[in-house]
Amino acid sequence: MRKLLYAVLLGLVGAGIVHILVLMMVPELSERDAWSRLSMASDLYRMTPLEAESGGQPVVKSVDPLFLAAACRFDLNDGIVHVQAAGKVPFWSVSVYDRNGHNIYSFNDHSAASATLDTVVLTPAQMLEVRRQLPDDLDGSIFVETPIGEGIVVLRAFVPDESWRPAVSRFLEQSSCTLKEL
Amino acid sequence: MLKKALLTLIALVIAIGGGAASVWYALHVQKGAGAITIGAWTAFPDIGTPQADPYTNARVAREGVLALGRAEGLAFVAAHDSAGQPLLRECAYRIEGNLPVARFWTLYAADQSLDFIRTGKLRPAALQSYQVLRRPDNSVLVDASGSPAPGNWLITAGEGPMYFVLTFYDTPIASSTGLSGIQLPRIVRRGCNA
Repeated sequence: MRKLLYAVLLGLVGAGIVHILVLMMVPELSERDAWSRLSMASDLYRMTPLEAESGGQPVVKSVDPLFLAAACRFDLNDGIVHVQAAGKVPFWSVSVYDRNGHNIYSFNDHSAASATLDTVVLTPAQMLEVRRQLPDDLDGSIFVETPIGEGIVVLRAFVPDESWRPAVSRFLEQSSCTLKEL
Repeated sequence: MLKKALLTLIALVIAIGGGAASVWYALHVQKGAGAITIGAWTAFPDIGTPQADPYTNARVAREGVLALGRAEGLAFVAAHDSAGQPLLRECAYRIEGNLPVARFWTLYAADQSLDFIRTGKLRPAALQSYQVLRRPDNSVLVDASGSPAPGNWLITAGEGPMYFVLTFYDTPIASSTGLSGIQLPRIVRRGCNA
């Protein structure tokens, strides 16, 4: 009887350890996280709409029904990423996520000059490189400096009502996410 | 010998089964660590940030969420009305009160997986602040029900559990200090279709 009690006690202590281990391993091993789902849907440096294409499951479960969103995966080891979108919509916002889906940095149209989206994501080391000789087309961009490798940029735009939907989806369609090698 | 093997087996089953089950349980309860509750509404300001606790991190990874950033907004979810009863899709609710400062907000009715309810009609189960009518004191009254209502009507449909999601965009309350002392609308049940 004492032995059984001992075994149960040992099991409970083990359960605590397993609990912590599993919890720590879930983010590492998950195949359902945003990065993995996006990588099934499209390639790197491609703006991908997050909404369901006519009836299917959405790529990444976002969002507000009154929002449209597009995402692009990048890898800063290849070079810097330039995200642009032109056009006027009531509200847009941009978030930069790391590989695990942590929101590293976000901003919205009020923080951008002239309300057009023009941003560059790069590492501090690349920032030094860019500062030395600023390329002409990056003049006026918002620089997001972050010490990550792989990551995701998400562009969200507000659709106040149905009449805005074509304009907002055009805004997302012509948004670009390009790799620039230094 | 056999007894020893049996005891080892028991210890292992409890350790692995219990450990895995407790993680599963922890990730499936709506309320977790880091939740902030105001009236009937709950928000996770730290979700998807590097400061989030391990439970929130695991939930983000499992569900593939890309959470709103601080400069974007903050979402509140209600699973209960202000009297503590679970929200049901077959019931009519009145959402009433003042809202905190934000550039705009959206309110939608969602199902269990927090996807918005498909009503099968042209009108989405969502409202936003630019289209709502306000009362003279700037407070808002929204009627959520399956049948049309005057004023601000949030259409709902179907049966089963329901959630209201209220998201504030470009708002000072998304910063950590902004959440103290804010007020959110009350949710009052008006009646149900039996």
